[in-house]
Amino acid sequence: MYNMITIAWRTIKQLVRDRRTIALILIVPLVIASLIGVSVPDKTILNYTLPAILATLILFFGFLLSGISFLRERYQGTRERLMASPVSRLDIICGYLLGFLLFAMAQTLILFFYTVYVLKVDFKGDLWQIVLFQVLIGILAVCLGIFISAFARNEFQMIQFIPLIIVPQVFICGVLFPVEQLPGYLQWIARFLPLTYGVDGIRALMLEGKSLLGIGREIGVLSGYAVALMIFAGISLRRGIA
Amino acid sequence: MPESALLIKSLVFNYGKLRVIDNISLEVPAGISFGLLGSNGAGKTTLIRLMVGLLKPAGGSIHCLGHPPSPAVARNTGYMPQLPALYNELTVEENIDFFARIYGLRDGRLRSARVEEVLRLIELWRKRKTPVSQLSGGMKQRVSLGCAVVHQPRLLFLDEPTAGLDPDLRMSFWEYFNSLTEKGATLIISSHTMDDAARCRRLAFLKEGKVIAQGSPAELKAATGRADISLEDAFLYYIRHTRAKENV
Repeated sequence: MYNMITIAWRTIKQLVRDRRTIALILIVPLVIASLIGVSVPDKTILNYTLPAILATLILFFGFLLSGISFLRERYQGTRERLMASPVSRLDIICGYLLGFLLFAMAQTLILFFYTVYVLKVDFKGDLWQIVLFQVLIGILAVCLGIFISAFARNEFQMIQFIPLIIVPQVFICGVLFPVEQLPGYLQWIARFLPLTYGVDGIRALMLEGKSLLGIGREIGVLSGYAVALMIFAGISLRRGIA
Repeated sequence: MPESALLIKSLVFNYGKLRVIDNISLEVPAGISFGLLGSNGAGKTTLIRLMVGLLKPAGGSIHCLGHPPSPAVARNTGYMPQLPALYNELTVEENIDFFARIYGLRDGRLRSARVEEVLRLIELWRKRKTPVSQLSGGMKQRVSLGCAVVHQPRLLFLDEPTAGLDPDLRMSFWEYFNSLTEKGATLIISSHTMDDAARCRRLAFLKEGKVIAQGSPAELKAATGRADISLEDAFLYYIRHTRAKENV
């Protein structure tokens, strides 16, 4: 636990020192949310689409932030140095997860409160339950970013994973169109993609007013994905050292 | 302390189909500086990465301080990679403090005292609040060394620690290395410069993943059978001698 917190604290300090990145982390979600608010004038469509877009943006920002940061650690040699130290792989993965999650959640909360209080998107469920579910999507996003970074050798390659990993989920997972309206084979694929459960869960919370207990399946699947990705990320830590 | 600080038997490592470490055996007694000397691509860095447990061997065994590489053993070893491998956004002090923490110095007072001692030792006390990104290459090397020694390891792996340093700084690094061995620490130093090699108590010459000769600098020179030979010429002698044997 001590090593985990030490790594998390160091990750936070590093990111905080990069003031331009911090400014972008805080401003970009507001710009995107404003654009969505302006470009979707119909309140009914906005109410239906925005929770799904929220889930997508959490996944996107978390993936990008953790993926790029973790990749940088690899080519700077700091991850290798860390792996030669007494810290365990679990300490490393969970330490980074905690550190990155803070920033991913800052972005998420800015987005959420901006959409709710500035764009006046209607929602039903408990605020804390919605935020808790967003934390789960954030954890998944960070784990996904750490895992995928093992397969990229530079930032350019990491960016190329966005159209491969994130964009298809936007079209298949019910963000823009209901999954039921997609061809059968795409519906089948959607069942295996985490964003489907993120979108279903957040819509159930925000539009139907369900509680976390009412979306147990979505929470279970997303947690399973997060744990599996964390294990894969731990295994993939050695990649790139050679 | 075990008799041998480092014991390697029949070590083999491959990158894909390419054999990079080919049946290496070494025994390093405690309390000496041991040099791994070879040209670029000889396998020095790969060998050090195997020793610190970053890579898994395809065959053979490694024992550091009597045990195979593991996180528990790592607590008593230090590693200075070829690149400075520091957190550029953090200050000099924060980098050293971070490594002090993860190597087990948890008592705040003791850690602060040790970090201060290391900062003075590497002569960066006045720069302790400076972000690493603003330091020169030589200063970064000093910080990197500080991070590797802050927990006072018994076995220290240094991958080309003096590469790119000016002669003055190189000399002060060696003065420090010698002070560590005098206190009982064992140093494994990879290098391709004869200046470093001459300062090591014992040496292993590496060529294409194999140890082609090992011994003290004096022994290695004497074994060539030539009087007054320099260490560099002795190294070249072994390289050419090995190549000639391979061509037969």
